[in-house]
Amino acid sequence: MGSFGNLFRAEWLKIAGNRWVAGCLKWVFPILIFGFILLMAVILALSGAARESFQEGAAEEPYLWTEYALSTWNLPNNPIGRLVLLGFTAVVFAGEYQWKTWKNTVPRRHRVSLILIKFLALGVFVVVAFVSMSIIFAAGWGVLTEIAGVPYGPALSGDVLTDFAEDYLLQASQAFTSTIIAAGYAALAGMLTRSILGGVLVGVGITFLENLLILILALIGWFLGFYKIVHLYRLTPGYNLLNVNMWVTENHAQRVTMFEDSRHLIVMSDTLAFSLVVLAAWIVGLITLTVVLFQRQDITS
Amino acid sequence: MSETVAIRVESLSKTFGRRKKRRVEAVKRITLEVHTGQVYGFLGPNGAGKTTTIRMLLNLIHPTEGCAYIYGQNVQRNHSVLRRVGAIVEGAAFYNFLSGRRNLEVLARTANNYDPKRITALLEQVGLAGRAEHRVKGYSTGMKQRLGLAAALLSSPDLLILDEPTNGLDPSGMHEIRQFIRELADEHGKTVFLSSHLLSEVEQVCDRVAIINLGEIVREGAVTDLLEGKTQLRVEVSPADKAAQVLQEHWSLSTTMTLPAIPSPPIPSPTTAAVKQPGNSNARWLTVNASHDDAPHIVRHLVNHDIDVFQITSQRQSLEEYFLSVVREETERAAG
Repeated sequence: MGSFGNLFRAEWLKIAGNRWVAGCLKWVFPILIFGFILLMAVILALSGAARESFQEGAAEEPYLWTEYALSTWNLPNNPIGRLVLLGFTAVVFAGEYQWKTWKNTVPRRHRVSLILIKFLALGVFVVVAFVSMSIIFAAGWGVLTEIAGVPYGPALSGDVLTDFAEDYLLQASQAFTSTIIAAGYAALAGMLTRSILGGVLVGVGITFLENLLILILALIGWFLGFYKIVHLYRLTPGYNLLNVNMWVTENHAQRVTMFEDSRHLIVMSDTLAFSLVVLAAWIVGLITLTVVLFQRQDITS
Repeated sequence: MSETVAIRVESLSKTFGRRKKRRVEAVKRITLEVHTGQVYGFLGPNGAGKTTTIRMLLNLIHPTEGCAYIYGQNVQRNHSVLRRVGAIVEGAAFYNFLSGRRNLEVLARTANNYDPKRITALLEQVGLAGRAEHRVKGYSTGMKQRLGLAAALLSSPDLLILDEPTNGLDPSGMHEIRQFIRELADEHGKTVFLSSHLLSEVEQVCDRVAIINLGEIVREGAVTDLLEGKTQLRVEVSPADKAAQVLQEHWSLSTTMTLPAIPSPPIPSPTTAAVKQPGNSNARWLTVNASHDDAPHIVRHLVNHDIDVFQITSQRQSLEEYFLSVVREETERAAG
C-alpha cells in the first residue's frame, strides 16, 4: 500500500473504529432504512388491510426502484440529516483536539496531508453510507412489492440503467457538494473552537445564517438604501445549489426576485457554469482555509 | 552541521497570548545542543517551559523566535526530519475507542511505516502483548505510558524525545524503563532527550542535563561536572533557628528538617542516642552547602555562638538538591 493509501487507511480505522460515533452519526441512516423496511414487511405480511393500502398506493403512482434509490440522497439536505452530518464532521476534525492525539500524528506527517485526508475519508464515508442506503431502500421496497403482489418497475434494460446512472450521479453530486460545504463549515468551526460541540454549534449557526442571509441582506439594503447588496446572495452555496438543481431538473435557472413592488426590483438568475464555479470556489476555499488555519495553529494539548 | 549533533536549539523563544496583559513568555531565547548517543536530561519545575520546548522541537508549536534543528535540519522547514524522531509528549494519549494494537497501526500507517510484525514485537517488548487487543479505554496510566513508549519506537528512531516517560509506572516499571533508556543509548547508539520530574531517575540515567527555570536555561553540563565538589555537611544542632541564622552569615543552607524526619545516621553512636533524649527536642538537622574541609570551622563557629552540636556528617549533593538550590537561587535572582 502506498503512502497515501496508508494515510487513508489510518483515517478510516479511526472513523470506523469509533463505533458509537460511526454508528449513531453515519450508519444510522442505512440502519433506520433497514429497520423501516423490516417493519413494513412484517406489517404487510400480517395485515391484509396494510397490503390493500399498499396496493392502492401502487395503483395511484407506480413504485419505481429508480425513484427509491435516488430519494435517499435528499437526506443530506434535510435539516436533521444536515445536523447529523455536521456532528459527524465535527467529531472527525475536532475529536483529535479532545483526545489529544494531534501530538502523535502531526510529527509523523505534514499537516496539509492530515487535513486533506480527513476531507477525503469523510467524503468516501458519506458516499458509502448513502449508496448502501440507496441499495437497501430500493431492494427492500422490492421485497415489499413482492409481499404485496404489486409491480415494481422499471424493468432492467440498457437504456434504463444508463438513464438511472446519469440521474443518480447528478443527484449524488449535488448532495455530496452540499455535504462537503456543510462539512467545511463544521471542520473550520471544529478547528477554531478545538471542540466537537463547538464545531457542531458553530456549523449549525453558519448553516442557519446562510439560509437567513437573503433576509439579512434585504434588510441591510433597505436600511442603507443600497439595494444592490442583495446580489451578494448570488455567491452563497445555498442559492447556487438551488440553481444547479434547477438547471439539472428543469433546464433553466433558479429565479430569485427581491423588492418586487418597488423600482429597486432585483432579479437573480444565473447560468449553470456560474453556479458550478461558485460552488467549486466554496469547496476549495473552505478546505484551504481549514488547512491554512491548521498550519498556523499551535498544538498545545 | 554534522551528524554528531542530534538536537540544536538556537535562541528559541515562545510567547503565548497577543494582548499585553495576557502575554506569557514561556521560553526565552534558549540555546542548547545534544550530541548523538547521549542521554540528555531536561529538568525544570512545573511551568518552566520544558514541554513548550519539546513541542517546538516536534513542530507542534511554532517558535516566536529562534530555530530548532534536528540532525542539522530546521524542523519547521524540513518536517520529514521528524521521521527520525520518536516521542512521548506530556503523557501518552491515544484513541480510547481503539485497541492498543490498532492505535499503533494508525500511527504506523500515518508515518507510512506499517509493519505488523514490528508492532507485535514492540507490544511484547513493553509488556502489553496480553492486552494488545483490548481497548485503550481500559488501560491504566502505566499501560498507556508503555504503549506510548512502543509508539515512540515504532519507526526505529535515531532520536527519542521523552517527556516524563515513567509517569504512572510502578517502581519496577520505572526501573525497567530507566534500564531500557540506557540500553538504547549504550547498545543501539540512540540519542535520548529526557524530561523528568524524577531527579534521581535523571541522575541515574543521563549523561548531561540542562535546567530550565522561568523559560531560561540556568545551568547546563555533564551531570558529573555539575555535581563535582558539591558536597554538603549535615549538622545536628540545637537551637536550630539560631544555628541557621549564624551559619547563613558564611554558608548557604539547603534544607532544614525536624529530627523525627531524619533517617538514622550511617554509624550509630552514643551521640545519636543522646539526640533522641526528650531534652534535645529542639535539635534539628541543617544541610549546609560546604566542603568537608569546612567542618571544623562550622563546628567552631557554632560552639562560639553557644549552639550545641550533636553530630556532623558530609555527603555529596544529589542532583535533586543541586536542582532545588539552583531553582531557588534563580527564582530569587529573577524576583530581584
